[in-house]
Amino acid sequence: MWGSTTTARIVSIVSFLVGWQLIIPLLPTALIPTPIEVGEFMWAELRADTLAPETVYQAFATSLRRLVTGFGIALLIGIPLGLLMGLFKRVEDFLHDFVVVGLAMPSLVWALIAAMWFGFVERSSIITVVLASVTFVIINVAEGVRAVPKDLLDMSRAYGTSDLHRVRHVVLPSLMPFLFASLRYGLANGWKGLVLAEIYASTSGAGWTIRFWYDARRAQGVIGYALFFMIFALLAERLVFRKLSDRVFRWRPSDAQAPQEAEGSVQVGI
Amino acid sequence: MATTTSAEGDLKAGRGPTSDQEQKAREKKRADVRSRWIWRIAGYVFFIGVWQFSSTYLTEDFILPAPLTVLDRMGEIVTSGLLLKHFGATLEKIAIGFSLAFIIGAFIGILMGMNRWWEAFFSDWILILMTTPGLIFVLVSTMVFGLSYIGPIVAVVVTGFSYIAVNLVEGVKAAPKDLTDMARSYNVSRARLIRHVIIPFLAPFIFTAIRYGFSVAWKVATLTEVIGGNEGIGFMMRREFQLFSMSGLLAWILLFFAFALFLERVVLQRQIDRFFRWRPEVTS
Repeated sequence: MWGSTTTARIVSIVSFLVGWQLIIPLLPTALIPTPIEVGEFMWAELRADTLAPETVYQAFATSLRRLVTGFGIALLIGIPLGLLMGLFKRVEDFLHDFVVVGLAMPSLVWALIAAMWFGFVERSSIITVVLASVTFVIINVAEGVRAVPKDLLDMSRAYGTSDLHRVRHVVLPSLMPFLFASLRYGLANGWKGLVLAEIYASTSGAGWTIRFWYDARRAQGVIGYALFFMIFALLAERLVFRKLSDRVFRWRPSDAQAPQEAEGSVQVGI
Repeated sequence: MATTTSAEGDLKAGRGPTSDQEQKAREKKRADVRSRWIWRIAGYVFFIGVWQFSSTYLTEDFILPAPLTVLDRMGEIVTSGLLLKHFGATLEKIAIGFSLAFIIGAFIGILMGMNRWWEAFFSDWILILMTTPGLIFVLVSTMVFGLSYIGPIVAVVVTGFSYIAVNLVEGVKAAPKDLTDMARSYNVSRARLIRHVIIPFLAPFIFTAIRYGFSVAWKVATLTEVIGGNEGIGFMMRREFQLFSMSGLLAWILLFFAFALFLERVVLQRQIDRFFRWRPEVTS
């Protein structure tokens, strides 16, 4: 019984929590919260009983609105550019290096620049999201266009299907996995940028609330919000992404779907 | 241009009988390369032109300084010795933090790869560590350790070691059993086994781990300095941000980028190439 992996997991979680709880009184600082304190904080937040100016629901609603707006703009810019890059070699040569630099740029940089340019307004957070996610959209769409199966296109042309039909039934289905990848990575990176932008140039949203708890020197607020982030990402993955990808990929034989799912959850790392 | 191409063509023709087709293919390839470089340079010219244009005509200088102003600032930073001082400070934190992360991560990764129980014990935590925003660790460690030297190092260790562990687990699991069995049946000593079978086999995994861990360590170390530090690249970025000096901020960002690229592509890559010189082909 002690050898099974389930036991190992339980032992690990329990020993971590107990160890955390026990070691706190021994530390010379009062700033690290015990797991019980973090739990209490999160429960109070969920009941909307908070000292911060915004409840957790308001904060996440604000951030989500910014994320969706920013990513929408990134899609509007990124899909045409990605299509051009995938279709024309010259555009690819023209843009490639800048897209790569954009991919590698830490989102912190975008947040700082947007904060300096636009100040404490809604716009600066949204623009950070656009800058942090647009290159992921461009590169994935360009890859997707290159991966459209030429033989299927030729065949459908030989059978005299209309352009519209061809786009709907050949081009879009083969583009879809790449759009999904851009959705995952773009949203994840956009979210990181957004949180930092809210820390530096905003007066509302989840990032700003984290800053509020940080300034108040209450680490349970920071850790509690980190756990909210994880729950949020998990819910988004389970409820939105998986449903969406099941729907979009319903034409696939079920065994082909496995690698798509294994691609990983939405990461909100730095 | 055209003359050189034809001259080269003559030279080739003189060397041996090249078929017409081959000649054409070669010419086409050359034209492709030329067009690629032309468009690439056009891209750079275009972007720098847009930058210059908008800084002279569209915006105030303090909002978007001209490329040359930023270049000047970069030169100033390099010659004044600020660059060495602050890059040194950041690098030192990364070096200490990353070495600790590597030791811890390698230990846990090998343990996880060899034993299923320990794998189950650690796997959830590794996943959680990898998906938690690095910002959180940065904030908590800064809060606890203040402006001291330890905060950034702790943040680098905590965020870095999971990447190393994850990569090593895969490597240890995939270790070639037939080779170790054979070595054992030939009575090869343990030290030699590790030196000549295990380490060469694990090397690609270790290098992937180092790459990932290193790029995370960079970002986290800079971020800690932005949030609360008193020296380092991140600290300088924050200072320029607070002074509202766009040219300074851009100069530090570009230097940061150049330096990170240099370390990753040149220094690390050279070590990797050196390590894999026994291989017929570098595929890492």
